[in-house]
Amino acid sequence: MTTKAPPRQQEHAEGSFSTEYMRINVGPQHPSTHGVLRLVVDLDGEQIISLKPQIGYLHTGFEKTFEHRTYQQGVTYSNRMDYLHGFGHDLAYVLAVEKLMDSRVPIRAQRVRVILNELNRIASHLIFFGTGLLDMGALTPFFYTQREREKILDIFEMVSGVRMNYGYFRVGGLYQDTPEGFEEAVQAWYDDFWPHLEQYRTLWVGNDIVLARTQGVAVVSPEMAIDYALTGPSLRASGVNLDFRKAQPYSSYEDYSFDVPVYQEGDLWARMMIRFDEMVEAARIVKQALDLLEPGPVKDPDRRISLPPRHELENSMEAVIFHFKLVTEGFHPPKGEVYVPTESARGELGYYIVSDGGSMPYRVKVHAPSLANLQSLEPSSIGGLFADMVINIASFDPVLGDVDK
Amino acid sequence: MTAAADAAVPTPELAVLRGGPLERALARLSELGGRTSEFKGMLSMTLDRGVLVEALTAAKEAGLVMLTDVATVDYLTYPGHRGKRFVVIYNIHDLTGRERLFVRVELDEGETCPTATGVWRGADFLEREAYDMMGIVFEGHPNLRKLLTPEDLEGHPHRKDFPIGESPTLFNDGRFLDPATFRAGLMGKDAGLTGWKGGARDGVRSVQGTLPEEGGES
Amino acid sequence: MGLRDLFEKDVQELEAEGILFSSLQKLVAWGRSNSLWPATFGLACCAIEMMASTNPRTDMARMGSEVFRASPRQADVMIIAGRLSKKMAPVLTRVYQQMPDPKWVISMGACASSGGMFNNYAIVQNVDSVVPVDIFVPGCPPRPEALMYAVMQLQKKVKGEAFDERGVKLPMVEGWSRG
Repeated sequence: MTTKAPPRQQEHAEGSFSTEYMRINVGPQHPSTHGVLRLVVDLDGEQIISLKPQIGYLHTGFEKTFEHRTYQQGVTYSNRMDYLHGFGHDLAYVLAVEKLMDSRVPIRAQRVRVILNELNRIASHLIFFGTGLLDMGALTPFFYTQREREKILDIFEMVSGVRMNYGYFRVGGLYQDTPEGFEEAVQAWYDDFWPHLEQYRTLWVGNDIVLARTQGVAVVSPEMAIDYALTGPSLRASGVNLDFRKAQPYSSYEDYSFDVPVYQEGDLWARMMIRFDEMVEAARIVKQALDLLEPGPVKDPDRRISLPPRHELENSMEAVIFHFKLVTEGFHPPKGEVYVPTESARGELGYYIVSDGGSMPYRVKVHAPSLANLQSLEPSSIGGLFADMVINIASFDPVLGDVDK
Repeated sequence: MTAAADAAVPTPELAVLRGGPLERALARLSELGGRTSEFKGMLSMTLDRGVLVEALTAAKEAGLVMLTDVATVDYLTYPGHRGKRFVVIYNIHDLTGRERLFVRVELDEGETCPTATGVWRGADFLEREAYDMMGIVFEGHPNLRKLLTPEDLEGHPHRKDFPIGESPTLFNDGRFLDPATFRAGLMGKDAGLTGWKGGARDGVRSVQGTLPEEGGES
Repeated sequence: MGLRDLFEKDVQELEAEGILFSSLQKLVAWGRSNSLWPATFGLACCAIEMMASTNPRTDMARMGSEVFRASPRQADVMIIAGRLSKKMAPVLTRVYQQMPDPKWVISMGACASSGGMFNNYAIVQNVDSVVPVDIFVPGCPPRPEALMYAVMQLQKKVKGEAFDERGVKLPMVEGWSRG
């Protein structure tokens, strides 16, 4: 370098040393964001001064689309919002419609729903760990967690035919009964899961690098969490014990005994490790639901909601008429507005459904947890380093389909 | 739980807890002029927009400390609706998650709603989404801009007079299909093939069938 | 010496000589097809299946896609995985323009190929209207095996062994082009 260093004496004397914050744009196409999230970050060196999320790059118009499909067709759309925990969205939607219709879901359908929902929660947390540690620079855990996830996806494929974006839950129960070998497959998965979980515990729960990068970083206090409408594991990592599976049990959750992990620290480490404990609890729920599973019907017998069984169509004219009306038009709920809060892997999930008596919803407002959770990103990242912000995004576990709807 | 005893979808305890947050909030909000209504175990309070912030603050002090959601509904094409066009619903609950209240504010076209960001900073994105999607202006909001839709999209998509924007399906041999004519389902104001408007007609109740004895369904 | 000529002679002189050129072109096409590095453009659910195709079970790396490059400057193929919203379309165009030639596009999934189940104001109904697409992959989401098959078809296209829907043979990728 042939340039001379600027004269420092002069600058100090004149006091004309000025700095500017650097404004950089992160995303929307970026490997470290969990989807198409764009952040406009003001930096002072490496420290973050302000952070503004810009979202909407995956806005799909779900809520408007729901208004133009029947209630039963809505199940196709709900799981594509939060595609990592699709069964959670499906469950929230069908529970809301069933509440509106005063539908009675048979107990076997409720237990199978719980099994699939909790398996999906474990799959979602596995991706959380894979991508969260990937953001920290650890590339291998991604492949380990994908291996476990593939086994869960095999069970989903056995049941519904697809690995992701299922169409298995229906208003009134399930599409059809689980195939032969379902219970054995879930039991085999359960027996196989614990050694791998111990392997993960050894790999990264006590890992020095993970501890150094996440302890004490990006703390969210309980007051801040409540103020910013945070829900889900991120809220429980800040010390607030709120889990809708315990507070307002739905779909037979009251039959199982499980703990809700709550951490007090509220930092990155707490937000990451709480999901590890949640995986353990979810596996326990799967086992209990599997043990209580008994043969039985899987659809609400109410002829105005569920299609009649095929053998009745040969004999009964009423069955044919019900079938015709349900397929061409759909069922008509009474007028009213319902909301059922459920707990998805990201937080409180609920569908606020307004019905006008027609066979298509009048208005569906989805409370997607990731949008509210994303608001806590700014206050917890300010003052921290840029590299910590990257893991901070991962720790709130946003799914942009859920944010942008 | 035996296999035959199928549990209903649980409704939260309608009996409001004595001395609990919901009871205190209901009492306080009724003083401010709120009208209570209930549907399948869900309690709503309809208020005037002038007292909204005071009501939300009172509800928060009474114990309903968590804001879940800011929902908006456009009643333009709702069959039989006679009130104002829009309604903004603040969905709040307490720390246990058991007591929930829906605070509703009815607005006409052009009326603004006071912002709740002074009570909960988490109302920021939620109100921005309501503005972007439904066009409801929140007075006093620090940053009321579009959130989800692109910058060049004019209008507010969730309004009933905003078309869904379907493209027709064009085949190679020149035919094209209009998606709307192939859609299943009816809106509440439509009569359908038989003229039966379903649940929109009062007094019609669904008939529950009996649980079949054999296991499994087709 | 043939190899030395490559460094010293002009391309026009080499073209006049013929034989070396065509086998060199085949060599380059073979190399390019077996080392397609995708640019990450995962948007929605298909992105998860794209990530799942890098599993040990369905190993995309054996097709040559060893790394998914985040920077478009280092990528050959862009896999548009997921529904493209109209707000994201200018970003897609910009990333595509930043990719150096030769580049290909795989439109993964029903939503990228045709708008999928979303026929509304917010979703671009065919990504082909924004960037030129080489391979369309149906599915919602396509299985990792389907994406693998798509990459294999693209490999054939790059090497000049593929046919389009009318049975016309598609040309091999150019070894180098002027201007």
